[in-house]
Amino acid sequence: MIEANKLTKTFRDRKRGLVRAVDRVSFNCQPGQIFGLLGANGAGKTTTLRMLGTLLEPTQGTATVAGFDVAKQPEDVRRSIGFLSNGTALYGRLTAREMLEYFGRLNGIEGAPLRARVDELIEQLEIGEFQNGRCDKLSTGQKQRVSIARSIIHRPPVMIFDEPTTGLDVMTSQTIMSFIEKCRDEGLTVVFSTHIMSEVERLCDKLAIVHHGKIATEGTVSDIKRQTGEDVLENAFLKVAHQLDAQVEG
Amino acid sequence: MSLTQVIFLKELRETLRDKRVILGVIVSPLLLTPCLMGAVMFFGSKKAVEQQSATLEVGIYQEAEFPELTQAIEANESLEITRYQSREESIEAIKTTASRAVVVIPSEARDTFLAHGSAPIEILYDPANENSSNAHGRLRGILGDFNKQQTQARLESAQLDPSFIQPTQITSTSVAESSAVSGFVLSIFLPYIVIMGAAFGGLNTAFDLCAGEKERGTMETLLVSPASRQDIVRGKLYTIFVVSLISAICSILGIVAAISFGQQIVTSLFGESFSISYLNLAALVAIVVPLALLSSAALLLVSTFARNPKEAQAYIFPFIVIFLFPAALSFVFDAESPLYVGFIPVLNIALSMKQLLSDAFDLPFFTVTLASSLAYAWVSIRLVASFFQKETILFRS
Repeated sequence: MIEANKLTKTFRDRKRGLVRAVDRVSFNCQPGQIFGLLGANGAGKTTTLRMLGTLLEPTQGTATVAGFDVAKQPEDVRRSIGFLSNGTALYGRLTAREMLEYFGRLNGIEGAPLRARVDELIEQLEIGEFQNGRCDKLSTGQKQRVSIARSIIHRPPVMIFDEPTTGLDVMTSQTIMSFIEKCRDEGLTVVFSTHIMSEVERLCDKLAIVHHGKIATEGTVSDIKRQTGEDVLENAFLKVAHQLDAQVEG
Repeated sequence: MSLTQVIFLKELRETLRDKRVILGVIVSPLLLTPCLMGAVMFFGSKKAVEQQSATLEVGIYQEAEFPELTQAIEANESLEITRYQSREESIEAIKTTASRAVVVIPSEARDTFLAHGSAPIEILYDPANENSSNAHGRLRGILGDFNKQQTQARLESAQLDPSFIQPTQITSTSVAESSAVSGFVLSIFLPYIVIMGAAFGGLNTAFDLCAGEKERGTMETLLVSPASRQDIVRGKLYTIFVVSLISAICSILGIVAAISFGQQIVTSLFGESFSISYLNLAALVAIVVPLALLSSAALLLVSTFARNPKEAQAYIFPFIVIFLFPAALSFVFDAESPLYVGFIPVLNIALSMKQLLSDAFDLPFFTVTLASSLAYAWVSIRLVASFFQKETILFRS
């Protein structure tokens, strides 16, 4: 499971001074659940997920992932997560199979178990046809399948998806969303960030609307619609965001 | 297998699939450099032969007849002689390249010569013109021979032995082995080329492994793996180091191969046959190791700081200065330099190479060089490791 407790990230910007990219964000996500972070660009979603993935160190607050503290046990955390974002690319001069073998080894899998796991994923994700093709020659859809395989090579109990469908076509986006659903169905803990409402409605068991680094509201999609009195999630999101803006200005 | 090894082997595999690296690190120093050197030596030697045998236009302007001298000049078949009527006409002829040099014989020259004095002879030429300088040299040679003959004749007529005007007979005997002499010539330019190979051989790899990864998004993929930042730094550093070392070794082998294959041309150009012992070769490679480590760490530092390879290219100028300037300084520094020079990075390596090649090996200097270079490399590596811990650098946007 994932537990974030008042996670805060500040950084210094030459023009804006001290910026609170993430401001006391708290939430938890259980196994077999998809928790969504919904927010506009720059809201603090990526920074939050990067802190959970131990790419960034929290300025304040704590978080545990699969029982490991992100600040004190970063390597154990990374061993327990699969991280997929639109930014996590593939090595162009490696073949799809070599890419999977490499990340298998980085996760401590060697020899026969590694070969078996790679073969299993190649079959599951239908990579066989292009497994020996260099990654820089693959189509976007093929790359995305290799990326998925790369993220789950070590059977992580937690999956973190940071806007994984941004810039992808409908078909490839569908593959990713089906994969996220499959992760939940297999009992994995899933955190997912997006700014696409339809994805939230389809996937998230719980969600938090993130605005200016803060969680504005949290609950199920129905809860949030009820709280705001809106039938459409997009309108509910805008209402919550405007309310938070008004609070900040007031 | 440790995670550092896993990263190193993967980086090396990817690097060896990069055509730019293969071309720049292996093909260029092993094939292109020897071919270029061979071409330069071939044309240089050809030009030297042509310069010796080519017919040159020279002139004579005499205010009074001096047949003994003019006959000596005219006897040389490689000169085409033109007579001039005035000094001004002679100068004009040189400027228009009608004649490359002109011998000016003053009116009193022959009388002075016959009176056993020193006849004043002047050669007009243009030192800015290669052919004119060549003609000047050839005329000085002819006049020198004329002087020797006439001196001999004067001594004979005075019944004096040649030793009369030569109180001492000086001979110089080289005690150096032939390899040391050839090594000395090699030591003038080889360190510079090897340092360039070690410093810039890993450039493409370094920029690709960090700044390139940031740009392509693979850095994030790697950072979320269980590998620690230290594993990543070490894996990448070892890869750049191996590439730099291969580049330096290929530079050494390329030059040695070029010299070995073009032995005849080299001998005709430098007057020495070249040879280098396997021991010296091994020592050269050994001294390159700390340099390759230092340059790899420095390149990785630049690459870690840059957001993309283009930005890394922009930061490369200080790096070039740091490596190129001391390497160029090695042309003017003696192999036998004071011990404190052993603390100057890069220059110390170049001078240690010079010492090795010219049989002037200085153990204290070598030790200081090795120790200080390893210390500088260690500092650079620590700096890279600290850069890798800084989010503001790693995720700079």
